[in-house]
Amino acid sequence: MKYEIKEVNGVIVVTIEGDVDLQSSPEARKALLDGVGRKMPVLVDLAGVGYIDSSGVASLVESLQTARKNGQEFALAAISEGTRRVLSLARLDKVFTIFDALQDGLKKLG
Amino acid sequence: MSTGKTSNPVARFAEKAGKHIVSNVEEIGYCGVLLVESLYWLIAGPRMRQPVRVSSVFIQMMEIGIQAVPIVAVMGVTIGVMLAIQGIHTLKLFGAESQVTIGIALSVTREFAPLITGILVAGRSGSALAARLGTMKINQEIDALHVMGVNPVRFLVVPALLAMLVMVPSLTLFSGFASMLAAGLYVGLDLKISLAAFIQQAIDILSVDDLMHGLGKSFIFSILIAVIGVVNGAMVTGGAEGVGKATTRAVVQSILALVVTDMIFAFVVTR
Amino acid sequence: MTPANPAPAKVIEVNDLVTHYGERKILNAVSMDVRDGEIMVIMGGSGSGKSTLLRQMMALEQATSGSIKLMGQDVDKMNIREMFEFRKKIGVAFQGGALFSSMTVGENIMLPLVEHTKLDSKTMEIMVRMKLQVVDLAGFENLMPSELSGGMVKRAAFARAIIMDPKILFCDEPSAGLDPVIASALDDLILRMRDALGMSIIVVTHELESAFKIADRITVLDKGTILFIGTVDELRSSNKVRIQNLLNRRTEEETLDPDEYLRRLTSGVEEIAGNTGL
Repeated sequence: MKYEIKEVNGVIVVTIEGDVDLQSSPEARKALLDGVGRKMPVLVDLAGVGYIDSSGVASLVESLQTARKNGQEFALAAISEGTRRVLSLARLDKVFTIFDALQDGLKKLG
Repeated sequence: MSTGKTSNPVARFAEKAGKHIVSNVEEIGYCGVLLVESLYWLIAGPRMRQPVRVSSVFIQMMEIGIQAVPIVAVMGVTIGVMLAIQGIHTLKLFGAESQVTIGIALSVTREFAPLITGILVAGRSGSALAARLGTMKINQEIDALHVMGVNPVRFLVVPALLAMLVMVPSLTLFSGFASMLAAGLYVGLDLKISLAAFIQQAIDILSVDDLMHGLGKSFIFSILIAVIGVVNGAMVTGGAEGVGKATTRAVVQSILALVVTDMIFAFVVTR
Repeated sequence: MTPANPAPAKVIEVNDLVTHYGERKILNAVSMDVRDGEIMVIMGGSGSGKSTLLRQMMALEQATSGSIKLMGQDVDKMNIREMFEFRKKIGVAFQGGALFSSMTVGENIMLPLVEHTKLDSKTMEIMVRMKLQVVDLAGFENLMPSELSGGMVKRAAFARAIIMDPKILFCDEPSAGLDPVIASALDDLILRMRDALGMSIIVVTHELESAFKIADRITVLDKGTILFIGTVDELRSSNKVRIQNLLNRRTEEETLDPDEYLRRLTSGVEEIAGNTGL
């Protein structure tokens, strides 16, 4: 799993690529919390994530909560069908703000 | 049991006895295996990222040790007073009642403290171990541990064993103090020997050897109680009634083992 | 699955499994498989060997001969370390739940994570609560198992079984003893596990409605041998007598020999009556 954090038009974009599972989710968690820690709106680009498990989703939930507490916006973008199914199983598709395309997210949050 | 009828009642009895002996030997073997496995997990566990959980050990120590303090205190005091009464009564026949301290000190340190404490812990915690493991077994909780990849010996047995190894000798020491104190107070009442003099006399007569004898036995006892409790719990079949039977069996077997070990110690050491 | 797809991978392969308990033959050359992402229901009366088969598939017991492969690996040939890694990919929901009575529901569900992963405690806590939400037990994490009803215990056990998103889930009699509404909800849960997470699920049950509702394929065991493996439709259209009986819940009638029966009923009766002083 790889990740990248960069700033685009006043939005922190955390790009994650590869599978997020029990092994790699601690790293993903650090990246997400790092992104949220920069006190700007955060957009998580999950286009490159083929598989994410509960530990990965839990990290997303934790970062969302941290962002909310700081009054920051936090959204997901470009999630795969599999990711959407995992999220909706735990009813989290109603909790997260999800954009189909990265650009929509950048426009809304920036 | 056997296929085909054994007509001769003597032969039948021999067969039954033989099966009994074989299963008992198997059980002793099982105990040995358990001890070896426990040692294995203690040492090799951390390297395999499966260490023994320290919190479990502490919980067991609380249950086995701390919670037994009141009753061990009561028993210690009772034994001490009983020994004082009997000792004085008997030695009065020789006019030697002032020597009662020697008898009390030696018998408490070498025999009574370890044995009575051991029997108490066997009845209290040995049975609890058997009951707990037996209930877990019939509830498929042991199977659940297995399918999760958690080894039951590491998870359940080692913490109990470690807790026993720490607590039984500690309780033995505590019991000894309680007995000596109570005996000293009684002797003070009856023979007008001051407590300080009593204690001094006791310290004079006791050697490190006596202390090692008593504590050494209590270490062995703790292993016996833990292993016998575990083995009986692990072998439970047949529901709640089976758990009850296993619990009783664990207590009886432990006490028997303690007493036999005690006798062996006494024999070997006085050679 | 479109016809153009190649045959799906087998997550479980059972080959020629034979098991003896002492002199009794419990399983007699059983061969079957479970495909990736399917729900396989195993059925059979008592004494059919289905519990033994399940236990051996979970690698809880060893067979006398034959082999079981989980995800391509022979379970008999794995060493302790490999087995430990493997356990992460398997989840088991036992018949009675088998929750650890000295821990809370939350601690129960978290145990596999604690033992197998180095996840942060916050992550683990969120995962536990997510799974409780999935099984409809949200907010129950601090209760003790003794405080739960039978249906809740089963759901908590289910949550514990799926906490690490296993590849293979084993369910032993999930609906046994539950009222129809809760049993149906559990069936739905099993279906969701397959659909949303692509789990391969093996369910042992004797509830026909449940089996028909959830099964992709059904295996029927009878006295240690396989009577039938196939889809629900294939089962319904089978013309084997035993299967028809199973479907129609007809108990098989033994042929009755009147003389033998009379003898059985009356032999020694006068003696017994005499002894009891009646």
